[in-house]
Order: sequence, then structure tokens, then C-alpha cells
Amino acid sequence: MVPLSWYLGLSALLFTIGAMGVFIKRNTITIFLCIELMLNGVNLTLVALSGFFGDVSGQLFVFMVIAVAAAEAAVGLAIIISIFRNRESLNVDDADTLKL
Amino acid sequence: MQPGQLAIDFHAILPEIITVLAAVLIMMIDAFTRRINRRVAGAVALVGLAGAAAAVVSLWGGKVESSFSGMIVTDDFRLFFAMIFIIVTFLIVLISLRWVEDEELPTGEYFMLLMFATTGMLLMSAANDLVMIFLGLETTSIATYVLCGYRRRDLRSNESAVKYFILGSFSTAFLLYGIAFIYGASYDPNLSPVATTNLQLLKERLASDQLFSGPMLLAGAAMMLVGFGFKVATAPFHIWSPDVYEGAPTPVTAFLSTGSKAAAFASFSRVFILTFFAAAPVASGMTDSAVSALREVSTNALMVMAILTMTIGNLVAIVQNNVKRMLAYSSIAHAGYALVGMVAGDWRAVAFYLLSYVVINIGAFAVIEVIARRGDKRTEIADYSGIGFQTLGLAAALSLFLLSLAGIPLTAGFMAKLLVFKSAWAAGFHVLVVIGVINSAISWYYYLRVIVAMFFREPATGFQRPVLARSLVAGLVLAILGTLYLGILPGRVLDALEKASDIMTTAARR
Repeated sequence: MVPLSWYLGLSALLFTIGAMGVFIKRNTITIFLCIELMLNGVNLTLVALSGFFGDVSGQLFVFMVIAVAAAEAAVGLAIIISIFRNRESLNVDDADTLKL
Repeated sequence: MQPGQLAIDFHAILPEIITVLAAVLIMMIDAFTRRINRRVAGAVALVGLAGAAAAVVSLWGGKVESSFSGMIVTDDFRLFFAMIFIIVTFLIVLISLRWVEDEELPTGEYFMLLMFATTGMLLMSAANDLVMIFLGLETTSIATYVLCGYRRRDLRSNESAVKYFILGSFSTAFLLYGIAFIYGASYDPNLSPVATTNLQLLKERLASDQLFSGPMLLAGAAMMLVGFGFKVATAPFHIWSPDVYEGAPTPVTAFLSTGSKAAAFASFSRVFILTFFAAAPVASGMTDSAVSALREVSTNALMVMAILTMTIGNLVAIVQNNVKRMLAYSSIAHAGYALVGMVAGDWRAVAFYLLSYVVINIGAFAVIEVIARRGDKRTEIADYSGIGFQTLGLAAALSLFLLSLAGIPLTAGFMAKLLVFKSAWAAGFHVLVVIGVINSAISWYYYLRVIVAMFFREPATGFQRPVLARSLVAGLVLAILGTLYLGILPGRVLDALEKASDIMTTAARR
């Protein structure tokens, strides 16, 4: 049997890759996908823990996360489309109307 | 009631049911009549909020219990915060009734999204389970992402929505990872359920110090700290908020900087003060356990965050030339003051702080909304030059709100700061209080700057006296009365707070 720590390691890796991607990538859609990757890293952690513990509530939580992520994707893509219509660019560096 | 049993108690979620029904009703009327009249939509929203407030009152002071398998809890902590959210949305509906029409924005969706966001906020304060906190948070967030980008053809609004969406979901991922770790840390094969996200069970397990993994608990708490830190916009996780607040339509900014911030603070306090801190009382003498390490580390982290947040918020606000942006930084600074209350572990001070802050801040944004005019064009401080005597009422109201934010005595802002600093001083965080007071003095500069510009500068060109809608005047008057009431006669509210119960300490009040 694959030990729990491997699952946790893999999900930590997925989460970190996603988090790095959010900082490094410049395309809004890619950033969005990186966030999805982070969420899936979390899902893997929950499923692995839940399987290891023999407790279903962790897996149920994953369903909630998936459902919410779907709703978030719907809204997020709509927002991305609306900015693309106005600006014709998905690069986050172009989004500089509001300066720090 | 043990959280293992299913306990369906519709009375316990009556406020949420009413707000959802109001939202759905607005949506339906909008769909069947092609386009809902703004007055109808606003009236449905206001009636829904009044109903929710009545439901909250009917629950107030009752039995402290959890329902729906321990997902929802009914204690005065929840109800007090619920009242804050209802007040926020009530005022926001009033100040945006006319605004939606002037901006020619779709009316139905606006009020519907506001009501759904309110439902999410109510659920956040009612949550007794990390899953429920997550769901409430996302209900609020998804609705507010859309609201930020509500002015669809305006580039600033688009940008604000994209930034809020990306950083919001980024922080949600951190919060979720934290929840997953806490779930893992709670594992105990001898108990049923073996692992839990229920806060009450978590607290019991933490207090008995039988944990699956101490490091996992600390990592989880750290991740949740980051997640909540983003949501309430504390330094160093505050970078998104000025951009988002500046770009979003003004009433939406008011909603974001008050409602969603207060909701995030509600869950933040529930998890950190009522669960983590309550599990390891300072006097319990437990040392070397993961739980006391958790308390120590998270208190220190919160303290650093509070100091950074207050200082950065206030210092950067000084150099801002845009009023909305300045208030965004001011809102960061205020999150810092509320964090001082959290460090002290006193949720009552935090709750009173947020109540005062939301009333004052919505009032200030209401004035800014009217002066900005259509499309949020006039939001620079230069646009406020000399308008003081041209529109005396508005300028006086804005001055009152700004002074109250700065913390002038006899207004809500002063009482709120006093309480927070008092409880932090009593808990022994003297340095924190001194830094807080210094910061509060710094903040006078930028609040007074607007007032000076309004009354002592040459009039700005092209200023026209704005026409005030009745609903907006009603909202403003309520905000002014609230500011003065909480400042001069806070006795009743404080009394209610003092007696307020929370589920974690009902057994043993301190």
C-alpha cells in the first residue's frame, strides 16, 4: 500500500506548483488554471486523509470543493471574458489602470 | 445536542432562509416581467432584510445549541454578527437604490447578488464547522466577484473584478489547505467520528491534547491565517484591496470594505478565538503541548500582522490622492485595529469595532458615491476642493464620518477604538496598544486633509450640486444617527454584548 506521506507529499507539490504558477504566469487563464491545481492539491490531501482514516466526511468535503470550484470557474471565466472584450488582452501586466 | 445526530431546525436558519427567498423572488420577478422596477427590487430586498432581522431577534438570547449535524450554531456571537451584516446590506440597498438607475445597470441582478452575498455572510457567522465556513465564504465571494465587475464596460471595474477574483480564489485555496490539515490533525481512532472539521469537537480534542500530528495542526493554522488574512485584507496580504476598492463601483466598494470584511472577521474570530485560543487557556498551565504552541505562535503572528496592518495602512493612506483609494488604505488600517482585539482574544471588542466601523464607513462611501457622480468620475481629493460651502449638508456629513473614522470622542469610532485598546491593554499587550494609538494619531492627517480640502480650498471647477435621492438621504441619516448613537449612548449595545453568549464558553464563562 502506498503510505500516506506520499499522497501528502504529492498534494503539497501540486499545491506549491499551483501557487508558484500564480506568481510566475502572466496569462489570466493560466493563472486561473494554477489556482485550480492548488484546489486539486487540497482535494488530494483530503481524499488521502479520509481514506487513511476510514472517515467519509473528508471525501464529502471534496465534493463541496469541486462544486464550489465549478461555480467559481463559471463566474471567473465570465469576468475574464468581460475584461478581454474591453481590452483585447489577457496579460495581467496590461491590467494597470489601477496602480499600486 | 451531539453533533453526530441530524437535527433539522428551520428556526435556526430562518434569517438565511428569508434572505435567500428575497433573492430568489427578486430574480423571479426580474425574469417574468423582463425588467424589474428598481423600487420593487429594493423594496423586496429591504423587506427581506427586515424579516431576517426579526428572525435574528426571535433567536436572540435563546438556547445556545447547534443544529444540522453541528453545521450551524445558534449563539449570541452569531446573532450579533448577523445583525451587523443585515445593517450593512440594509444601508447599502438604501444608498444604491437610485444609483443603479443613474448608472443604467441591470437592477434585478444587483439586488439579488447583494442578498445572496448577505446570505453567505450570515452563514459564515452561523458556521460551526469548517466546511460551512468555506461554503459561506464562497457564497459571499462569488457574489461579490460579480458585483465588483458590475459596470461591465468600465475598464477599471473589469480590472477590479479580475484582481479580486484571482486573489480571492488564491486565498480560498490557502484556507482550504489549512482546513484539510486541521481535519488531518484532529484524527483520533478512539473517538467517533475519527476525524472532524466540527469546531466544537475540534476544541474538545485540542483541549485534551490528543492529536494525530502537532506539526499538521500548526501548518493548518498557519494556512488558515494566510487565507483569512487575505480575506480581511491585513498586511502583508493586503495588496489586492486598494486596487479592487478603487475600481469597483462605489456602493460595491462600501459593501466589500464593510460586509465581507466583517464576515471574514466573524469566521476568523470563531476559528481562532473561540476554538484555538479557547482550547488552550493561558492559565491552564499546559506547556510543551501542540495546543499551547498553537496559541503562542498564532498570537504572535496576529500581533505582527496587526502592527504591520495598522502601520502600512495608515502610512500609505497619507500619500493617496484618490479618495476611494485613501479609504481603502484606511480600511486596511481599521482591519489592523480590529486585529488588536483579536490578539487580546476578545471577540466582543472585535464585534463592537466592526459594528461601528461598518456604520461609519458606509456613510462615508455614500457621500463619495454622490459626489463621484455617474461613472465614478470625481473621486480625486482635488475634486473635493471648496465644495464644503456649496453643498454644506453632504460636506458636514462626510466630515463627521471621517472624524469618526479618525476616532474623535462622542462618535462610534472613538468608543470602538477605546474598547479594543482597553481589552488589549488588560490582556497585557502594552506595546501593541501604544503602536495602535500612535497609528490612530497618524490617521488624523489624511482624514483631515479631505476636510481641509472641502472647506478651506478654492472651489474646484465644474462642481455641480448633486441631487439627492430620498433613499440615499435616509441611508445617510441612519448612518449619522448610528455613528452618534454608538458614540454617545453605546450602553445598550455594550450591555447586550457583555451578556452575549457564545457556544464555546457557555459552560464556563470567564
